[in-house]
Amino acid sequence: MESSGGTPSCELTDKAKKYDRQLRLWGDHGQVALESGHVCLINASASGTETLKSLVLPGLGSVTIIDDTKVTPQDVGNNFFVESESVGSARGEVTLRLLLELNPEVRGTFVEQPLTEILDNQPDFFTPFSCVVATCLPECTLLTLSKVLWEAKIPLVVVRTYGMIGYLRVQMEEHTVVESHPDNEMPDLRLDRPFPALQKYIDSLDLDSMDHREHSHVPYVVILYKVLQRWIQEHGAAPASYKERKAFAEMVREGMREKESGRGDTIEENFEEGIKAVNTALLPTTIPSVVQSILNEASSITPSPTTKPFWIMARALHEFITSEGRGALPVRGTIPDMTADSEKYIKVQNLYREQAAQDADWVLRRVQEHSQQLGPRKVISSLESSVKTFCKNAHALRVIKGKSIAEEYKGSINLSEIGSHLENPDSELVWYVMLRAVDQFQSEFRAYPGYFQDQVETDIVRLKVCVNKLLADWGCGPIIKDDFIHEMCRYGAAEVHSVAAYMGGCAAHEVIKVVTGQYVPVNHTHIYSAITATSATFSL
Amino acid sequence: MLPWGERWGEVRKLLERPGPFTHPDFEPSPDTLKMLQENMKVLVIGAGGLGCELLKDLALMGFTKLHVIDMDTIDLSNLNRQFLFRKKDIGESKAKVAAEFVNHRVKGCHVTYYYNKIQDFGEDFYRSFHLVVCGLDSIVARRWINGMLLSLLCYEDGMLEQNSVIPLVDGGTEGFKGNARVVLPGLTACIECTLDLFPPQVNFPLCTIAHTPRLPEHCIEYVRILLWPKENPFSSETAIDGDDPQHINWIFEKAQKRAAEYGISGVTYRLTQGVVKRIIPAVASTNAVIAAACATEAFKLATSACTPMNNYFVFNDTDGIYTYTYEQEKKEDCVACSQVPQELEMKLSDKLQDVITTLAESLQYQMKKPGLTAMIAGKTKSLYLHSPASIEEKLRPNLKKTIEELGLQDGMELAVADVTSPNTVLFRIKIKT
Amino acid sequence: MKNQKKDGTDAPKQGTQKRASAAQLRITKDINELTLPKTCDTEFPDPDDLLTFKLIICPDEGFYRGGRFVFSFKVGPNYPHEPPKVKCETMVYHPNIDLEGNVCLNILREDWKPVLTINSIVYGLQYLFLEPNPEDPLNKEAAEVLQNNRRLFEQNVVKTMKGGYIGNVYFDRCLK
Repeated sequence: MESSGGTPSCELTDKAKKYDRQLRLWGDHGQVALESGHVCLINASASGTETLKSLVLPGLGSVTIIDDTKVTPQDVGNNFFVESESVGSARGEVTLRLLLELNPEVRGTFVEQPLTEILDNQPDFFTPFSCVVATCLPECTLLTLSKVLWEAKIPLVVVRTYGMIGYLRVQMEEHTVVESHPDNEMPDLRLDRPFPALQKYIDSLDLDSMDHREHSHVPYVVILYKVLQRWIQEHGAAPASYKERKAFAEMVREGMREKESGRGDTIEENFEEGIKAVNTALLPTTIPSVVQSILNEASSITPSPTTKPFWIMARALHEFITSEGRGALPVRGTIPDMTADSEKYIKVQNLYREQAAQDADWVLRRVQEHSQQLGPRKVISSLESSVKTFCKNAHALRVIKGKSIAEEYKGSINLSEIGSHLENPDSELVWYVMLRAVDQFQSEFRAYPGYFQDQVETDIVRLKVCVNKLLADWGCGPIIKDDFIHEMCRYGAAEVHSVAAYMGGCAAHEVIKVVTGQYVPVNHTHIYSAITATSATFSL
Repeated sequence: MLPWGERWGEVRKLLERPGPFTHPDFEPSPDTLKMLQENMKVLVIGAGGLGCELLKDLALMGFTKLHVIDMDTIDLSNLNRQFLFRKKDIGESKAKVAAEFVNHRVKGCHVTYYYNKIQDFGEDFYRSFHLVVCGLDSIVARRWINGMLLSLLCYEDGMLEQNSVIPLVDGGTEGFKGNARVVLPGLTACIECTLDLFPPQVNFPLCTIAHTPRLPEHCIEYVRILLWPKENPFSSETAIDGDDPQHINWIFEKAQKRAAEYGISGVTYRLTQGVVKRIIPAVASTNAVIAAACATEAFKLATSACTPMNNYFVFNDTDGIYTYTYEQEKKEDCVACSQVPQELEMKLSDKLQDVITTLAESLQYQMKKPGLTAMIAGKTKSLYLHSPASIEEKLRPNLKKTIEELGLQDGMELAVADVTSPNTVLFRIKIKT
Repeated sequence: MKNQKKDGTDAPKQGTQKRASAAQLRITKDINELTLPKTCDTEFPDPDDLLTFKLIICPDEGFYRGGRFVFSFKVGPNYPHEPPKVKCETMVYHPNIDLEGNVCLNILREDWKPVLTINSIVYGLQYLFLEPNPEDPLNKEAAEVLQNNRRLFEQNVVKTMKGGYIGNVYFDRCLK
């Protein structure tokens, strides 16, 4: 995104400046993906506009709002993207105009047609969208929509605010993530299986003959490797237990030199770092089980022209591991910072980098072979950098296999998950049950419980029936306390702004995950309780 | 009239109906909304990423008397999340533009703005609020407002007067992570109790920067810390301005050169700016979430329609959505909030030495070498310190001065440091007649 | 809360706070309990401002015996979350202090912790004069001399403290 031109001067473009704080997170390529995204919002309620707000601001490509209602006084009360003067106007039109003001780079349209009509008459309506966000739908419409989108393989995010409770549901058949950005990564140092160049370099170093300065500036990867060789000679295998690692750390400490001047309290920092790193650096090089199952799946796929590039790369990766890689993933190529002199650190760093490049190159060639077999048209765009990124993130690959809402509602819900969570009186799952119950209430009585002030008391009794029926269907006893039923009736389906804003923020980021293919989306239901400021995710 | 069909219908359901999760004080009543709109005065500190969201959220929860302080002006890089600002507003006061936007959009809401530092205002100003909500990126400012709210607490016979407690709701974000918390000054963990929760600033060893760089950051810090003051590329005494592209460009080019010398890769313009300005990444969605969590708590505190959370909430939506809510415990020896200023009686004619003798000899205190400072007209004044010698000599004459001569008055606070206590202890001067 | 009346003026008054900041309270304690080694002294230009002062070190042993070295301390409002800023105001030929007065002492930067005090820094600085560390230098030339030829290093230190050139750099006299 830095301006081109012959000079080394690299002042940023206005666009890069505007998006600077987020480009530091998802990168220029993430931004390109976001800008090619097209999101459809169904119903511009408070939850809906709050979701779009956090998508328009970072520069999503375009939005479409489907809304056939007129702005009401209630909208003025809880929706920032309507004005008092807009009461009676088309809500889709008003909210779209006010949302697009946030970012002139985003394009948008609105459709003032009932969703049910679209679902009935325009089967291909949703094809252009990278993601659909739905709010405020009665259960039967939601089920129809979810079915259409599931079949069309278009991700659906359902976001809902009900009093102090928030609900977020992500429906995707399959979602693959290369850049999952894990928070705490273990280093990939290969001490247990050094590649030849690393081994050769470390063997060429002799710690004993180094002067003090050099000795205290050897990167700890070298120190640990050398101690490991000695350890293996003595013990036959790398330290595995906590006790052995402790003894190993002691062995590293013994190699530390006292400062000759005698005051004695100066320690060699590189050794200290090495001792601290023993626990992580000595972990055997393995393939995380999540990644292993992805590889297993990839190996069973026969590539076809419709196979996603992710799976072709995963297949090539699998082939790498079973041949060239001798059971290990490609070298990641990045190492942690280590106290060292510049020359040795950079040398070591380059060894890892070069090995990573070599490994990625092997995978790239295999990917190219696969793509060629699929015909000349099947070319993966910017293949080389894609494969490089793929290999660098091989340890953190993620695939989410979703479940359709129809399956969850009408087919096989995960009963054991429900049962075990409901045994915990603090579980947020109770709110999931309550939301399902109010929807059944609504299909039966054409209004949500507590919607009318004069019916709160009778609705409590009716809602309780709905809850118990639901529980009975799932084979659970009537274990939900009346408190929750009372609280639900108190809400009367109110969409309270701060809760809607919270849920909108969450939903927007889920859409960003879907559109950019970075970070890991929720699988599949997330419940937020603003009462206790707690939340939980369930796979039901 | 349509049932519940008017503007505040959604919020009124919470305010006018009883429920099992309300605060014990809660009484369902239409008066609560009235109180929220007519009486409740809320201060929002910061009109940036969180502040813009907070103003919107609070305005749509029914608060109308909102005040906002921010000393900053709008920059292009704010526009990806600070949604009340447009390109035409660049250079204007954030507080002003944000207030005017919300006042225009939410009819009946009245946001008062201050284009100021929080330190510009004193106790009378802060005492006039029911609730303070912070959306700040500065630890110093958080510690300052925390100290201010603690200093407003009143004690009667050692018992905290509840109505002197002004709750503080505080939010913070970094990338996809955030936190929100409720502080009841004097009652629950305060900002200072949990200072270690803030990540320490990253400082690389100077010797690494100077001679053994390994990372691109080391090269940038070399230029910023060592080369800039030596070369003064833009006339001497010109400090680095992270917003001046010429400055960043100079640093970038020099850092690139240094990196090349050592074979280090990865020095980019963006990284240079990030290191020099210590930029924290930020997105709209996290700010929206954290501000909303704060606004919800403000609403609960103001209306009792629900019990406040207890008391610290963390959020991270990198891998799914993860939240964790737990009780931060009050630190027994917190330098800020464990202080219940004790009264210390003295006469205007007493000499400072007499006060010190009292602190040393009374059975209650038994101090060894108390050092005393006071706040007089908002400035600290050193009264007497035992060490080091240079300052002791200068202050020694004070020992013979009277309380009156030193300018001390009834109600002022004395800070007393002594080895017998882990922290400096506060006393409130009570003048005997 | 709802019953409280808060009819304070909307027009803010210039801030006056009756309480010292947490940083101020902490530095008061640090200073009051400062136990200076006999080789050290302080100077407070304004005794009411405990955040700005100078430390003078006059080593009585080691290479730098007889010298007088002045350090400026600036304690910021984020103390002790962040360390004070310390600079050496005396030009000194020392492996860990450069000619601009930057000091390479771990607890001033990467190893600072809020439990450390001004006293910790004083002792750290004093130690630098007793035990210059050539392995992590700021002044690389000085470090190399110390490492390869202690005698020459000692001579250089004496020469510079008297006021004189090393290469083409002139050092002001700083003998006590």
